[in-house]
Amino acid sequence: MEVSMPQKRYYRQRAHSNPMAHHSFENPVCPEEMDWSQLYPDFFTEGVSDKEMSRVEFADIGCGYGGLLVELSPLFPDKLMLGMEIRVKVSDYVQDRIKSLRASQPGSYQNIACIRSNAMKFLPNFFFKGQGLVYTITDVEEVHVWMVKHFTEHPLFTRVPDEELVDDIIPGRLGSCTEEGKKVQRNGGQNFLAIFRRIDDPNQD
Amino acid sequence: MLKRAYRQTAMAAAIGFCGDWCLLSCGSKLLAVHSKQSRDSYVFDCSIAEKKAKTAKDDSDSNKGASEDTKSDDILAFTVSPSGKLVALADNCKRVVLFHCEHSWKCVSIRFVVRKCTALVFTNAEDELLVADKSGDVYSFSVVEPQREGELKMGQLSMLLNITLSLDDNYIITADCEGKIRVSHRRSPYNIQSFCLGHNEFVTALLVPLAGCQFLLSGSGDGTVKLWDIESGCRLHSCDLNIFKETETKLNEKPTVCRIISSPDGSHIGVLCSRVPTIQFLTLQLMVKDKLVPHSVLTLPHCPLDIAFDSEGKLWVMMDCSDKMFNVYTHKDGEWQCNAQSLEVSRITEAFNPVWETVETSTRTKLWFEHLHKRSYDNVAMYMQKKEQRLKEQQLKRAKLQRTNNNKKARKETSMKEDQSSSSTRKPDDWQKE
Repeated sequence: MEVSMPQKRYYRQRAHSNPMAHHSFENPVCPEEMDWSQLYPDFFTEGVSDKEMSRVEFADIGCGYGGLLVELSPLFPDKLMLGMEIRVKVSDYVQDRIKSLRASQPGSYQNIACIRSNAMKFLPNFFFKGQGLVYTITDVEEVHVWMVKHFTEHPLFTRVPDEELVDDIIPGRLGSCTEEGKKVQRNGGQNFLAIFRRIDDPNQD
Repeated sequence: MLKRAYRQTAMAAAIGFCGDWCLLSCGSKLLAVHSKQSRDSYVFDCSIAEKKAKTAKDDSDSNKGASEDTKSDDILAFTVSPSGKLVALADNCKRVVLFHCEHSWKCVSIRFVVRKCTALVFTNAEDELLVADKSGDVYSFSVVEPQREGELKMGQLSMLLNITLSLDDNYIITADCEGKIRVSHRRSPYNIQSFCLGHNEFVTALLVPLAGCQFLLSGSGDGTVKLWDIESGCRLHSCDLNIFKETETKLNEKPTVCRIISSPDGSHIGVLCSRVPTIQFLTLQLMVKDKLVPHSVLTLPHCPLDIAFDSEGKLWVMMDCSDKMFNVYTHKDGEWQCNAQSLEVSRITEAFNPVWETVETSTRTKLWFEHLHKRSYDNVAMYMQKKEQRLKEQQLKRAKLQRTNNNKKARKETSMKEDQSSSSTRKPDDWQKE
């Protein structure tokens, strides 16, 4: 086999990387100029016009070792997913992991990819403006309270109540398929979930 | 017609006009000299302005590092309102100072900001002063209530370098050190209308041209001036200033755009690049496909520190030259003609020289944004090198292990065969078969 699964022990990196520091990234200048075919070769065939191109619909901001991407990939095989990770070693691990999965299961995992970037600064460089949902999860209650507070106070977001999430298969998996999630489960901790929807500006005249 | 020719950004020395008053900032001093009449100049010296009242927190902070008293009070930026009746400045000691200058000069208020500011702009309605700071935030200071504290309007992670408004005051436009330009709704700044993305380096200059108020001009460390549609963020045209560079200057250095100015009637757009002794003129031709058209190049005797148009459309160029600080040009017969001897120039030079001499040379020619060019150091390369090495070593190890195993296997097989042969009775013929 050409591509073997990467071993996490060679890709360990401390959890915190300062997003305000000036790292060097290779970002597209704007979404129009992003070449997605490098990340999702099976989805972008030559000769297909820009309008017909698939678009990334799921973004995992701070994807870590890629657990969520790998879990969701077979569940939404037609949706493109992108993981963004700021740490050098960790993003490389995910890229190697995806390469290896694609090689060992031809046809699968073609819809996931990972890039190394600082989402806090460069998200607009990759993605056009859009509507959608934000899924947040943490095992630290204070962080959950902080996120809920800021999203709730932000006029462009509204919290999605649990009743509306009955048919959504994502929430149930968020806490169990990532490294952090598994650690929390092992330690008998609790996960705090909060989901928000982007809405139009209520103050717009 | 609204005059948006007066945007200013952080420079060691800067020139601007406020009606008939010529404004000069240099070090910690703001000097206003009347260009037409022999009136007393007005000087505001930030180093003797009131300091922020110290709180208990300030005291404990100052114990940690250098004392606040040794920090310079240099002016980082100043701006003039469209009508010319108001001026505001931001200094290195986090002051925001507001002046009224309709009939005479008056310092109306001194307020304080949380972080050092890089740019300021008055709304066209002249009721608010917006201030952009190094941490990426925008604060609003009331003009109508000059003592009211600043209010946080919007923020982002990247340091802001310039700020302007659309002519109808509907949009706040900010430019950052990563090259992004953000267009936000002024009444609800949390609502981002669009991003104007295309610059490869930090964006220092912004100008909303009079000829096309739905457009935006931007200048960057990548050596280009770009034209955008404000609402959609669509890039309409890019003008590479490298083509104007003289052959003597180093070819591998991109000219950094410092300032984009517009004549009062909007017919001339001038671009100043750092350490380049020329001014590039562009015209905006909305009916043409490539709307931004290079017009002419004005060569100067020295690299200018700053440029500005006065209310009559004359171009003022400020240079770091003790003999001739200012050159003034008028556009006549299709070219920029230098007014050799002018009363205005002598009056202003005379008033300005004493101030200029008090400032150190290093401060006078400092270009604070030069360190913002993207670093070429790539922290990924080192990691990849180590990874390559690790993979090679692992491969060698595996190959070695494989060989050892093969040898072991071979020896084992041989010995097993030996055991078998010795335990069974064999005829001499059977040996030969093996």
